[in-house]
Amino acid sequence: MAATTTLPIMPQQVGTNGSVSMPQPSDGISADEIALYDRQIRLWGMKAQEKIRNANILIITMKALANEIAKNLVLAGIGSLTVVDHEIVTEADLGAQFFLEDQHVGTNRAVAASAAIQRLNPRVKVTVDTSNIRDKPPSYFSQFDVVIATDLDSQTLNIINTAVRIYKRAFYAAGSHGMYGFIFADLVEHDFVIERAKSNVATALGPETATRSVVAVAPKKDDPRTELVTKRELYSTWFLASDCANLPAEVLRGPRRRKAVTPVLSCLRALWDFTITYGAPPNANNHADLAQFTRLCGEKHKQLGLPAETLRSEVLRSFLQNIGAEVAPVTAVLGGQLAQDVIIVLGQTQQPIQNFVIFDGGAMEATIYALHPDGLLGEAQLVTAPMQSSNGAAEQGAAGPFVFGATPVDVSQAGQFA
Amino acid sequence: MVSDVNECGLSLTQAKQTRVLMVGAGGIGCELLKNLVLTGFREVHIVDLDTIDLSNLNRQFLFRHEHIKKSKALVAKEAAQRFNPNVEIVAHHANIKDAEFNIEWFSSFAIVFNALDNLEARRHVNKMCLAADVPLIDSGTTGYNGQVMVIKKGVTACYDCSYKETPKSFPVCTIRSTPSQPIHCIVWGKSYLLNEIFGTSEDESAFDHSADGENANEIAELRRESAALRYIRESVGTEQFAQMLFDKVFNTDIVRLRSMEDMWKSRKPPEPLDYRALMENSSEAIDAKESVLKDDQKVWSLEENLVVFNDSLGRLSKRIIDMKANQNGTGPSPIITFDKDDEDTLDFVAASANIRSSLFGIDRKSKFDIKQMAGNIIPAIATTNAIVAGLCVLESFKVLRGEYDQAKEVYLTPFMPARLLGIDRPRKPNPDCPVCSVFQTRVYVDLSRATLNDLVEDFLKLELGYGHKEISVSNEVGILYDPDETDNLGKKLSELGIKQDSFLTVTDEDDDETYVNVVIAIQEAKEPSGDKPIKSVDSDGLKIPMKPKKETPVPEANGHQNGVGKRAHDGAPLETTLAKRPHPDDSAEATLTKKARIAAGVSADDGVVVIGDGARGGAIVIEDDGAILIDD
Repeated sequence: MAATTTLPIMPQQVGTNGSVSMPQPSDGISADEIALYDRQIRLWGMKAQEKIRNANILIITMKALANEIAKNLVLAGIGSLTVVDHEIVTEADLGAQFFLEDQHVGTNRAVAASAAIQRLNPRVKVTVDTSNIRDKPPSYFSQFDVVIATDLDSQTLNIINTAVRIYKRAFYAAGSHGMYGFIFADLVEHDFVIERAKSNVATALGPETATRSVVAVAPKKDDPRTELVTKRELYSTWFLASDCANLPAEVLRGPRRRKAVTPVLSCLRALWDFTITYGAPPNANNHADLAQFTRLCGEKHKQLGLPAETLRSEVLRSFLQNIGAEVAPVTAVLGGQLAQDVIIVLGQTQQPIQNFVIFDGGAMEATIYALHPDGLLGEAQLVTAPMQSSNGAAEQGAAGPFVFGATPVDVSQAGQFA
Repeated sequence: MVSDVNECGLSLTQAKQTRVLMVGAGGIGCELLKNLVLTGFREVHIVDLDTIDLSNLNRQFLFRHEHIKKSKALVAKEAAQRFNPNVEIVAHHANIKDAEFNIEWFSSFAIVFNALDNLEARRHVNKMCLAADVPLIDSGTTGYNGQVMVIKKGVTACYDCSYKETPKSFPVCTIRSTPSQPIHCIVWGKSYLLNEIFGTSEDESAFDHSADGENANEIAELRRESAALRYIRESVGTEQFAQMLFDKVFNTDIVRLRSMEDMWKSRKPPEPLDYRALMENSSEAIDAKESVLKDDQKVWSLEENLVVFNDSLGRLSKRIIDMKANQNGTGPSPIITFDKDDEDTLDFVAASANIRSSLFGIDRKSKFDIKQMAGNIIPAIATTNAIVAGLCVLESFKVLRGEYDQAKEVYLTPFMPARLLGIDRPRKPNPDCPVCSVFQTRVYVDLSRATLNDLVEDFLKLELGYGHKEISVSNEVGILYDPDETDNLGKKLSELGIKQDSFLTVTDEDDDETYVNVVIAIQEAKEPSGDKPIKSVDSDGLKIPMKPKKETPVPEANGHQNGVGKRAHDGAPLETTLAKRPHPDDSAEATLTKKARIAAGVSADDGVVVIGDGARGGAIVIEDDGAILIDD
């Protein structure tokens, strides 16, 4: 595995065009808003609602999965939603995308969905942008608290993640393929405060898992029996987590646990890799594609340390045939889970996803795997390693149009993209 | 080997030929309807009797501000139709328990989806689906939790196969004499004080009287106190009313309680309050009245509570006097009952509860929190509903393919490190389930002449083969016939209130070789039925199965490692009418009480108090009549 390059963070040097986001003034939640959001405020409290209300969120690609995410976040009452999509609505989009109607075919996908999104909640500022996300300078991402990239190829996710990371913003990637899907989170370093009854044994500072540690403990004001425990989760980039990172040691320990790991993970890694190499996903009817994809799946499966017998041919065939399909209930589950995690991250009182969810809508499994490289995590991983995929995709990437993120990025150079 | 996409493709093709029913167009319902329509089911029927409320709009995304007060079913249909014009959506703004939704109607659907918020309706749909032998996908959510299960007669467990936790009510003495938590004072304000002054009288359903015997003296004293309070009620509308009431419940009664020294050996005795002294300290709060009333997030001071107490009492007094005036002295006395959305009653309950809490050294609560505890509000969010509704449709694909062995019981596992969903294999039907272990059959009845005797002697004993066994016949009201209860035999079934789609339960009273209970659905004979007024619908010979031999009951093992908390809300006792032979008096009384309460216009919010699962620090849930609110 390639070494990770670490560079000091110099946020004052980036975003020279003054686009660093400022905390928005909050003029307090009105009685009308409390009445509207009553049932959720009773769940997550006023403080979390205020944080949600001040959040600026970006969603990239407005397909079925993003429809669900946008719906859930706008209903919850976020501050602003920006939708970026440069593509045009086709007949195929009408199947599972509920913001669209027949007359939208041929128009821009973000624009087509925007009116219906806005109607969900007039209090949320909805902005559409029809430009290609690949044309955005890194500084563009600094204005958002959370960036959610859906239904994109691995390379584009890598570029966006790298840019978002410079500004230490929360990044989510997600995609659905028929009955299958995934959610990925890179929150860089995320602190949250758990309120719990004090135990007889004092809560110790220090690591709890490979990625999480207790960084502070304080008694709750006016309630000495309750303590506030601040925990910190460290994350990895898409580049590292999506391909070369290992499964956590506890998953690999026993043969039973290894057998239980979903083969869909290997299939997804193979798909991402295949698409980087060949510029398009495999075609299930093309023999050469089938052979190459099968080989890649086997490779990824082995790399993950998983037993060959769990990668059955019917799993492979099924996965291939699902690629590119949108199934409404699957996007509802994934979009619901992702939006809920965004809300949890904004509220900062619960454990968020760490860091991959793999969903199989037939088996009804939504397993979470913490996929991280050995070595540094969190901010220390601020800059990606050189892109060097097992199949030599580095050259492909470097030669491609998206230079940013394909090579180590020096933060001081970031300005050139602005 | 059939691949998933083919299975999925097959499911989508099957969906296009399928007619489904969705009961409930609320939190789960809106999401479910979207999924069903996008998936392309041929025809979707929606039943919901509710109308849209402001507090629905944070999650029921088919509804907007301009739809408030309109029918959920009708608006949902309009909104979802745009997602796919090829699906036929039929909306019924009606109660699923209405007679038009009979077994025959249920059996016209390939799948039924329950998207309901209350136990009573979920049980009803469960029963109807079993009778019609239609697969049911049941779902529920509360806060971040949720679950989905597939119910298929004879194949998987039904909704009533598992025990539903009994709601807990509080002993009278806890509420009236020795409160120790905010909820005790809130129940006192809502079910005792408000009712004594503006309602019919003490709301008995809120109290557990099982320990009354041990506290006979105190109970007698409490009765006298209530009587004195009813006397004060006569002064409603007078200038001194607020002080009279205050002095009675926050001073005189407290002084008496304090004098019961035994009671305070291990507790801090309550401190009586002096109205005048408190009023003298309240000038600041009185000036700030308007802003205090608006601030439902703040925990009001004692003085602020007094201001709200006086103000809300004034509003309620004026209202009841106006109601009396408009009535011209005819009919029963008007009453005001608690409604969480009625600001006057909520203010009064909040202020009374907080003043009482102050006397007993209990923490006061904000009006916002009191509304939740008194009004049985279950937190509800868009994301949980979206996830659960998605899972429902994914399960329906398996049902469409008839693959019940692939079906899963799914529940959400929020904040767990390893997975977002928990899954179990569907449980087998519980052989002792009072609802689905029964043998179901239908009979054609000529209701113009059939008597109970025709049913018992001709049909049950001869045709069904009970012979000389001791049996009893009952309906939801109680026992109609047993060997000691033969008065009804000569009566026509119609005189006993039995009509089209009535259910009768036949119980075998013999101890060995016992038949399982038989549930008979009555179908009115469409044409005169010749000689016999009662005939079996099923022409084949009917064979009633025997009850399994009694074994030691096994604790329910449904393998929910994490499923305990979330299921706690699903609580209500199993219906005793079917579970065991009810004592006729019990049953009649229960029905009478219920009817009386309905007749008296007691709000559905009044009810038994239960302690929730503690997920929110011992959140209190008030259940209406054993019904649960999962998401409205």
